[in-house]
Amino acid sequence: MTTPIEPPRLAAWLLRRALPRGVRGQTILGDLTEEFSIRSASARQGHARGWYWRTAMVVSARYAFERFQRKDRPSLPAQNRSSHMDNLFQDLRYAVRSLLKARSFTVTALATLMLGIGASTAIFSVVNAVVIRPLPLANSDQVMWMAETNRAGAVASMSWPDCADWQARATSFETLVCGRSMTYTLTGLGQAERINGRQVTWNFLRLLSVQPALGRGFIEADDRTGAPHVVLVSDAFWRKRLGGDPAAVGRILTIHNAPHEIAGVLPASFWFVSAEEEIYEPLGTATSIPAFVDRSNHMGVVAYGRLRPGVTESSARSEVEALAATLSREHPNTNTDIGAFLQPLAARIVGETGTTLVALMSAVGFLLLLACVNVANLLLTRSASRRQEFALRAALGGSRIRLVRQLLVESSVISAAGGVLGVAAGWGLLKGLLALAPAGLPRMEEVRLDSDVLFFAAAATVLSGLVFGLFPSIQASSLSGQQTLIRSGKTSTTGQSHRLRRGLMVVEVALAVILLVGAGLMVRTMQQLTSVDKGFDPRNILTLRYSIAGAGWSDERVVTFADNLITRTRALPGVTDAALTLSLPIEGSQWGSVFIVSDRPAPSRSEIPSGAFTPVSPGYFPVFGIHLLEGRLLLESDRRGQANVAVVNESFARQFWPGRSALGNRLKQGWPESETPWREIVGVVKDVKLNGVNRDTPLQVYLPFAQEPSAGPALVVRSDINAATLTQSVKALFQELEPNLPAYSPQTMEELMGGGMARERASMVILGVFAGIALLLASVGLYGVISHGVTERAREIGVRIALGANQRQVVGLVVRQGLMTTVAGIVIGVGGALLLTKYIKTMLFKVTPNDPTTFGMVVFTLAAVALVACYLPARRATRVDPTVTLRGE
Amino acid sequence: MPPQPLYLGEFEQLVLLAVLRLGADAYGVSIGRELEEHAGRRVSRGALYTTLDRLEQKGLLRWKLVHGGDERGRLPRRAYDLTPRGVVSIRAARNVLTRMWRGLDDVLKERS
Repeated sequence: MTTPIEPPRLAAWLLRRALPRGVRGQTILGDLTEEFSIRSASARQGHARGWYWRTAMVVSARYAFERFQRKDRPSLPAQNRSSHMDNLFQDLRYAVRSLLKARSFTVTALATLMLGIGASTAIFSVVNAVVIRPLPLANSDQVMWMAETNRAGAVASMSWPDCADWQARATSFETLVCGRSMTYTLTGLGQAERINGRQVTWNFLRLLSVQPALGRGFIEADDRTGAPHVVLVSDAFWRKRLGGDPAAVGRILTIHNAPHEIAGVLPASFWFVSAEEEIYEPLGTATSIPAFVDRSNHMGVVAYGRLRPGVTESSARSEVEALAATLSREHPNTNTDIGAFLQPLAARIVGETGTTLVALMSAVGFLLLLACVNVANLLLTRSASRRQEFALRAALGGSRIRLVRQLLVESSVISAAGGVLGVAAGWGLLKGLLALAPAGLPRMEEVRLDSDVLFFAAAATVLSGLVFGLFPSIQASSLSGQQTLIRSGKTSTTGQSHRLRRGLMVVEVALAVILLVGAGLMVRTMQQLTSVDKGFDPRNILTLRYSIAGAGWSDERVVTFADNLITRTRALPGVTDAALTLSLPIEGSQWGSVFIVSDRPAPSRSEIPSGAFTPVSPGYFPVFGIHLLEGRLLLESDRRGQANVAVVNESFARQFWPGRSALGNRLKQGWPESETPWREIVGVVKDVKLNGVNRDTPLQVYLPFAQEPSAGPALVVRSDINAATLTQSVKALFQELEPNLPAYSPQTMEELMGGGMARERASMVILGVFAGIALLLASVGLYGVISHGVTERAREIGVRIALGANQRQVVGLVVRQGLMTTVAGIVIGVGGALLLTKYIKTMLFKVTPNDPTTFGMVVFTLAAVALVACYLPARRATRVDPTVTLRGE
Repeated sequence: MPPQPLYLGEFEQLVLLAVLRLGADAYGVSIGRELEEHAGRRVSRGALYTTLDRLEQKGLLRWKLVHGGDERGRLPRRAYDLTPRGVVSIRAARNVLTRMWRGLDDVLKERS
């Protein structure tokens, strides 16, 4: 006979723990073992194991429950010791029935929970994806992001020779990659298109521990100057633009009008920094550009490094800082005061969003707490009204434990139902959040409702259930049965319950104050942001960018095309003016450079100033409505071969020639020894918020486009109608003039500005919604508590009226009590808000965390709402008929 | 004086009947299988053991310990048997049913 197969050991262990000791338990265990043998002999192993597990759990549960019961009430008669599971099911059925009967209570409680759990689930999904979850890279906490710091200590990109030196000399990293993001013009695959990508050193895939899905990765030979062009394409690119061609490797793409061979296709799971990048090429391609290999130029290169095992972040940081110091000694002309910056990649990607998200998560926590307090209050009110029922049960011999258990089951049902509804609501809210989310927020593509989020929702549900379920249940069960049945009306516990509810109300009001203050501060921030003097008129301006690359475009051709484009655009219907510029206001400066001015000696290298340079066509100033303060604007006659001129902004003029005219002075872009021409300042214009509404205005220099043509400018078009309607006709114009030159990123200036404030607006909306819900919950809660208080005190009020109290005195009595609660809550809430708002300082603009206007408005609003919430029940109190109440029940 | 019959629920009756049918071979596993075969329903082992305990507490069943073989890891089993009170109770239950069934044969005959 074969040895019998053993039943699952864990299940057997469970049984042994739960079953009674001695032969009783052994016989049952033996029975189940025998049945398992029979089943596994006649059927599949899997079935037998499944049966054993199921049976083990059911039997264990029954016996464990019975033991628990017996421990509590050893004197229970035999009948009651049976079917405790049945008791639980009975409690469940009773709870559901009872909740269905008390419809308004149940709906209110469920709605409250749904809001609280839904909001927290939605926000947590975002926080989880952006901040908590590690980057989808192997050992992502070991990957560092590095750059250099300039003289002012600000983080800036590296120069290529510096990064190459780091690669050669740094020992803290097992892989160090240099790279910069790029945009490419792709032609030959349908319409000409602009795609995002990155130039990286050849060891790129090694950094990520990724293998290509098709073909190969980069090899060192690809990364040399002048090597044949190869690229790696993303999975999305391969599917969308190559139709998933299995023979994609080796195909030639036309990028920047030059052939590039596809060396490999990246796997679908590939992720690096941005989900929008479709193409990667070796950084060596750029080394054929003289400006790129010049150590004094920082052209967007940053470094990524994977720490060697055992190396810490701080020791790596020390090493690169030392490297930077060494380089500044070896190359004093270019690297003086250039330092190093190192940060974990995850922190870099999350950036400032982290603070906002944490603030939102805290707000959600408050809202959830408020919801729980509200439901607790509802439950207290409900059990106060079921006093008779509980007393009867106690008098008939029901145990206190049984009662508590039943109430706990009830609150568990509420919290479970609220949790399920909350997850559904959260799913919907998440969709809304994602629609509202500003573009360019990090890792938004990873946001989803996954098992982490569900686990959080379950935890929130259970915790809420405990918070609002526990003490009403215990409190209800402590009612002494006899007293309540004999004497109707007030008992000592009524007063206690009422005080408890008032205490909870204070907490609710305090939480509402905190949320309202948060929302109010964001509203004020938005107010301040929108009222900043931007220096230009953003209405009805359409912008598009284009990018010229590849051979065949001489400076002359660039300028001719630009002139042609502007002329033809001006002729389009609906257009009042058009111009070109490298840098768009708000979007930010695309070209920062050092410079010197003529009327004083050149400062030392560490003192040399830098400013924002932008080539513009003459129409730029009228299109944006930028005021001329002195001298003249740029003209059509400012062309190559004519005198080199420039226009500066008033900050520039004020800094170098305070109190005098800046006109006639000269400036030179670049280092003192560079070959760039001296330019005469012919005009001074008003400041423009180039780098964003909430950033300082930089020193700005405007150069004539014809003298300093740019290969990647933006076309700006002013119209007398809604600017967005011009998009199609302008794009068609591009198509006509240069089919292989895609125009991309069309947006109106207003959209661009909205994008700049998107984070603040999103925070304001979300916090505003929370605050609104909080105010609603608090005011409904307050109304409920006061109203119930009036009912409870009907006798007392009746007596007072009978003794001659007039209407005003009765109203005063009720309102006073309500206001005391509110005032206590407001005081605590204001105190809490004062402590907490300093953590959101970075989210605010020109508003102090303790802004008195905001606090004042919040206090006023809550007091007003509370007054109304108290007044209504107070009026009801005046209608109490003393003859009815005094007659008793 | 003869023992007083106790009221029996439906499942309790089935269990007692199964024990009677199985005679000396009445233990947990066989009772469960007997019920599944003849009563045609899945019997939760949890409910079965609870019922056996309850019948024992009510004084309708008794058992003695029997050694077990390898197929149950050498663990013992309980051999069940009805007490006199159990016999009286099951007989009373049958009498009740028989009285209620009388005269209904025609009505409840299955149409062929």
